[in-house]
This record gives sequence, C-alpha cells and structure tokens, in this order.
Amino acid sequence: MKSSKALFLEVGGILAAVVTALICGFVVILLTSSEPFTAISALLLDPLSSTFNIGTILNKAVPLILTGLALSVVFQSGVFSMGAEGQLYIGAFVGALAAVYLPAMSPWIHFPLVIVCALLGGALFGMIPGVLKAYLNANEIVTTLMLNFVAILTTSYFVNNQLKAASGGGYAKMENISKDILLPKIFPGMAAHAGIIIAVVAVIIVYLLMYKTSIGYELRLVGKNGHFARYGGIATRKVIVVSVMISGALAGLAGIVEVLGIHGTFKENFSASLGFDGIIIALLARNHPVGVLIAALFYAYIQVGAQTMQFGSDMPREVAVIIQVMLVLLVSAQAIFTYIKQRYARSGQKAVK
Amino acid sequence: MPILLEMKNIHKVYPNGTAANRGVDLTVHEGEIHALVGENGAGKSTLMKILFGLEAPTDGTIEYKGQTVTFDGPRDAIKQGMGMVHQHFMLAPSLTVSENIVLGDEPKKGVFSMFRDRAKEFKEVEHLISTYGLKVNMQAKVESIPVGQKQRVEILKVLYRGAKLIILDEPTAVLTPQETDELFDSIKALVSQGHTIIFITHKLREVMQISNRITVLRAGKSIATLLTQETNQEEISRLMVGRDVLFRVDKIPAEPKDVVLAVRDLGALDDKGTLALKGVSFTIRGGEVLGIAGVEGNGQTELVEVITGLRKATTGEVRYQDKDLLAASVAEIRRMKVGHVPEDRQTAGASLTSSIAENLILDHYRNPDFKWGPFINKKKVKQFAKVMMDTFDVRAQNEETMAGALSGGNLQKVVVARELSKNPLLLIASQPTRGVDIGAIEFIHREIIKRRDGGAAVMVVSAELSEVMALSDRIIVLYDGEIVALLDNTPDLTEQEIGYYMLGIKKQELEATR
Repeated sequence: MKSSKALFLEVGGILAAVVTALICGFVVILLTSSEPFTAISALLLDPLSSTFNIGTILNKAVPLILTGLALSVVFQSGVFSMGAEGQLYIGAFVGALAAVYLPAMSPWIHFPLVIVCALLGGALFGMIPGVLKAYLNANEIVTTLMLNFVAILTTSYFVNNQLKAASGGGYAKMENISKDILLPKIFPGMAAHAGIIIAVVAVIIVYLLMYKTSIGYELRLVGKNGHFARYGGIATRKVIVVSVMISGALAGLAGIVEVLGIHGTFKENFSASLGFDGIIIALLARNHPVGVLIAALFYAYIQVGAQTMQFGSDMPREVAVIIQVMLVLLVSAQAIFTYIKQRYARSGQKAVK
Repeated sequence: MPILLEMKNIHKVYPNGTAANRGVDLTVHEGEIHALVGENGAGKSTLMKILFGLEAPTDGTIEYKGQTVTFDGPRDAIKQGMGMVHQHFMLAPSLTVSENIVLGDEPKKGVFSMFRDRAKEFKEVEHLISTYGLKVNMQAKVESIPVGQKQRVEILKVLYRGAKLIILDEPTAVLTPQETDELFDSIKALVSQGHTIIFITHKLREVMQISNRITVLRAGKSIATLLTQETNQEEISRLMVGRDVLFRVDKIPAEPKDVVLAVRDLGALDDKGTLALKGVSFTIRGGEVLGIAGVEGNGQTELVEVITGLRKATTGEVRYQDKDLLAASVAEIRRMKVGHVPEDRQTAGASLTSSIAENLILDHYRNPDFKWGPFINKKKVKQFAKVMMDTFDVRAQNEETMAGALSGGNLQKVVVARELSKNPLLLIASQPTRGVDIGAIEFIHREIIKRRDGGAAVMVVSAELSEVMALSDRIIVLYDGEIVALLDNTPDLTEQEIGYYMLGIKKQELEATR
C-alpha cells in the first residue's frame, strides 16, 4: 500500500496529463474551428446534457472497464500481454455459440451458461500465450499480437461461412440471440444496458482478488520481483499462466457483454480495438481496478463528446483521437520517467557508499 | 602538514526532504591517509558525491588547495586532481589492463591525432606500474585477472589521470586478508610519493592499521576528527553508533546434537553451465554453526541454492533429517522449517515495492490462521507484522511502509525476522550482515547464536572472514568449488591461516575434509 502523499502525487500526475491532453485538443479546435467555443462546449457539456447521452457513455464504458481490468491483472503480474482483443473475440464467439445453438431452456440457466462459456473461451485462449511464456520463454508481446489475428480471422471465417445467419441480409453475423437472454436496459427509455452492473461487479471482484486473496498476493509478487517469488517457493510459472487466464476470462466477458448488450449477436469485426483501448485504460489507471473504472468512464465520456461535437459544431470527431493519443503519450511518458528515476536513484546509491 | 582539502559545514537536503548531510566538516591534510568512517546512512556516500561533483551541496563550502571550488561534475574534480576508486569496479572486462587504464584519454599521434599511440601508451602505463609498485600484467585482459589486481587497475586509472587526492570507497570489501595487506602496501607507497588518500570503510581494525587521522560521521553530522594514535576501536565505534558496542559475539561453547543436514558428494553447475561445485561433502549438527569461508564466486552461491531447492544438483545427495532435499520443491523445503537468509536481499530477499507486512507474510499467506474465508485477514497480518517489527527492532513508520524505503540494516532485519519466525531447524544465512550497520550486525549475530543455542543447525556463508570466525564452531573453506579445509574454530586459528586456504595456496588432504 502507498502512503497518502505518494497516492496524491500519482493521482495529481495523472490529472495533469488529462488536463494537458484536453488543452491540446482545445488548441486544435481553436486553430481550426470557426466556432471554437460552441465546439468545446459540445465536446465537454453535451455528453452530460441528456439521459440518453449519459446512457451512451455508460454503454461505451462497459467493455473498456472489462478490458481495462483484463490488462491490469496481467500487467500486475509482469506479463505484457497485448492479447485482450483476440481473447475478447474468442470469448464473445464461444458465448454466442452457447447463446444461439444450445437447446431451449430457462433464461435463468441459459444466461449464466453463456457467460461461463465466454469466460472459459477467453481464459483458454489466453492460456496459450501464458504457457508459451512460462514454459518456453516465448515473448508474450509477439505471441499475443499474433494470436489476435488468429482469433479475429478464425471467428470471421466461421460467421462468413458455416455460421452465417440466413437472415443477416448479407452481413457476416450469427443468428440473432433470443431476446430472453439479452441484457435489458437498466431503466426503460434510457440507453444504458445492464452491462454496467456486470462491469462494476467485476471491478469489485478483481479488487478483492488482487488485494485480498492469496492468489492476488502471488500474482503481484511475481510481477514486482520474480526472484523473490521464486525464493519464497511460489510456482512463478503457474502464477503467470493463471494471471493470463484470468485476464483472458475478463476479456471474454467484455466480448459477450458487448454482444448481449449492444449487437444482439456475434458480428464480424464488432470490437474495433476495444482490447487495445483496454491497454490505455490500464496504463491510465496504473493497474488499479478502481482507477480502471474511473479511467474507462472518462475515456467513454471523451468518445461520446466527440460525437456530440460532430453533431453540434463544425469539428470532426477525430479531435477525440488527438486527445486520446496525447493521453497515451503523456501517461506512458510519466511511467517511463518514474522508472528512470528509480533506476537512477538505485544505481546512484550503489556507486558510492 | 598543509591543508589540502577543507569541506566546511556541508549540508545536503534531497528534494524529497531527506537530509543526508546536516553540517559536515572534513579537513584533509596533504600527504595523509584520512579514514572516513560511519554506519550505513551516516552520509559518507553523499559527502563523497558532493566532493566529486556528482551532487551539489545545499549549503557549505569546499576549499581545495586554498581556493574555494565548485564542481559541476566528476570531470571538474578529475581536472583538479581528484580520483575515486569505486567499491564496484568500473572496468571493461574484455579490454586489456593498459587499455582500461587509458580508456577515454588515450595517447594519440599522427595528423589531427587520428591514431592511437600504442607505444606511448605502453610506456606511460609501464612507468606508472613501476613508479608505484602496483604490479599487474598490462597485456592481460581484465576479465582474467583476480580481484586484487582489478583494484590496482582502478587505482592506476586514477593515477594516469593525474590524481593527487585519491578516494577509496570500501576498498577491502572484496579482498582476502593477503590482498588487503598488499593493498595497504600500495597505499603507503602512494603516500610516500606525495599522494593523499581518503579511505572510506566500516572495518575499524583496518582504520587503526592504516590511517593517520579519522573523521567519524553519524546521522549526517561529523562527530569527531581523531588522531589514530590517540584513539582505539572502542572509542571510534562508540562515536559511530552513539553507544557502547560489543565486539565479540558472546557465546557459550556449542553443544552439538544429532546430524540435521548431511551433504554428500554434491555437484552443481553455475549459470554459465560450468561446474561450480565439485563433490562437496559435510554435515551440520543441531546446536552448531558451520561457517563457509572462501573468496566470493568459489561455489558458495551454488551450494546454498542447491540446498534450498533453487538450483538443480548434478551429483550427490542432500539429506535433511530423514528427507531428501534434492527431490523437494522450494515451497516444500520452506515448509520443512528451513530458514534461508539469501545473499542478495535487494533481489531475492525482499520485494522492495511491497510493504513490510507483505514481505513478512511470505510463508504465512496461505496459512488458515491468516485467512478469513478466501481472503487474507488483514487484521491478523497487521498484528503479526507489528509483533515481528517489535521483536526484531525494525525501525519504520509502520508495517505499511515500502520495504524499499528501509535502510540496509532495517531491511535485513525484516528478512531475518521472516526467516526466523518459523523457528527453523536448519538456518542458512548467506552474507547475513552485508552492508548492514554495526548495531544491526550485533543484533543479527545474537539472533543467530540464539537459534544455535536453541538447537538449530546453522550454516553461515560470508565474505567477511571476521564474521565467519566470530559465529562459527567449525569452518570449511571453499576454493574453486571444492572443500579445501575443515577447521575447528579454536582461539589459535588465525585469519591468515584461513586466507592461505581461500587463495588455494594450502589444501588439506581429502580425508580430513570428509
């Protein structure tokens, strides 16, 4: 745990990065827009101006929270997985298979079954790079990035061929999932679906898992100091595999929640890099589950703001991309600076006693 | 003697609020050997960094050769005729001795000085070697020469750059007694040629042996400057620690019981795949301390790692009571009441970015007593950590303090606390007091002896010969992966005697070591 001062500094640093990124966005707006203040207000205020927009923010945040959690777990164990995107597809695909093709049954059984299938799908697909890393020392960045293509293209193949819905009107997707097990709206008339509840529950579970259980202790120890973990008798290889599997399960959950809440069935290329956005979320949150929740909501807010700005002014939504990219740059730069400072302090101590 | 260097009222406060120097005065006379002593964290390193231009002082002045100076970096300090020999050698192993000496300042020749002047380089290096009697083969590659000679290369390096004031940072930490004697001869030779030496150390015996004057630092302040002839070890240590210190470890004669650990014909490879342990056999009984002496890198690390399950053996057997340790995993061995204080606490012994509490529960986080359903019982952990910190005198704000924020001594106490908290039947302590202050050394030594008296079998591996001799009942000497001597630690056993075995000059008959 950190002292309150260190926590304050860290949160302050992240806030500074957020503000700087926003200012960069504003500068671009000021330089290019003929009605800059309308645009800025459309970007910042319109997302909060209606329950519909707020609901959209929540919907956009749901998959980001879940993929952000997925990556924060692996990152904490010192594995730099880039594989959430692929795991998300496999999880969604397996879950959707269970949703579409299982014989009719009570939704009270069917819905949990679908979720479990998605969790398992993501976890087992995540296990592949985990085992490769732990037992064969294969670089996880390379394996996960390549397996992403395997996942995306394989699922795409199936929904373009054997599993293509006849009623799809030319779209590559599965048959529609029964309405009984789709995620309902939280309030009638509001856009937000029940996925946000699942996401918040996931945040709580991941928090407890990481900070309150033996597995979480082992996971974090392996990430912080593998030598120490090995010396302490922790089976570091198993821990690495478990961490990548938990991460995969969370990514799979993100996929199925997106399918059940937004799309109604598995569609080709439905994610559009949610798994990669999760990396940014985890970085912004410094791998803390509560931070993931906040970061994902902010990220979704900027995305919705980009849309409302496009409707309400002459600025295109790509301005949001500028803000996002600035955030990534600043946040990763901060992380690198702390790393360098620590290294420098340590080597400096060693040089002279 | 005229004053060469005068540092007055040096203060250094780091941006994070740590006050490393809080008013240090240091006066060094020309041509003297000035010892700078103090516990870890007393501010020696900061003071030398300031002198060498690596850090800027917050307050205070430096006068060198009668002029006030400010150094913006080591380059300025070197130009003024200062040189520092670091504790960790800064040499390029794949280059030759003479290449290392001139590195960055090579003699040049030809148009625009485009080419290296090897002939001049050899002449100058040879001249240096003969002038100062620092014997070393200048054509040899640095990786192939022994530690003592590497140190000479470091000294030659600063001499080549024209250093008149030479700072030696813990120069004897890695040397055998014989090599230390040779180093002291070289230091005396340097002084007779008009050089001035600042000698940083915590070994008081050496201070008494070599220095002319001594400055003692404590908690960032210079406490006293003494003439060596007019003081003694007791006084210096009292000034360093602020109270009386026991020099000898008080212990009653050992009462060995049954054999706890039996190692037979053990062989193992090092990380590079060469044979590092060559058929090592010994036993340790309950209630005795077996010391492992030897120059570092002669198989000690591998021996400890094999016994604790961290490294595979190639031959032999390790029996612990009636169990075969070679077949057990690290976790199983730890559960069998084997305590292990690893040689490197920063990497293997602790997780620096975890809290003290998290470091302490390494053997307990799965223990039902520490659990509340599936969760770790935070209250219980806190209680346990508090008791441990009290018992082992760990000084920190609270149990949530990051381990990395602790001083070397306090961190080592955390490691020792954890390893002793399970009441080990076999305790393996590797370099148990390396880089630890005197107060903590005393404490850790007493704890180790307490365990011995309680019936535990203890194995102490240390590069400090004095530590091995202070703690052990029997001593084995490892040289090149073999046991070359098995000695009873009687009062007439001398460091010199062990030193001959450590250097491989003497070797007992094989039968005697079995």
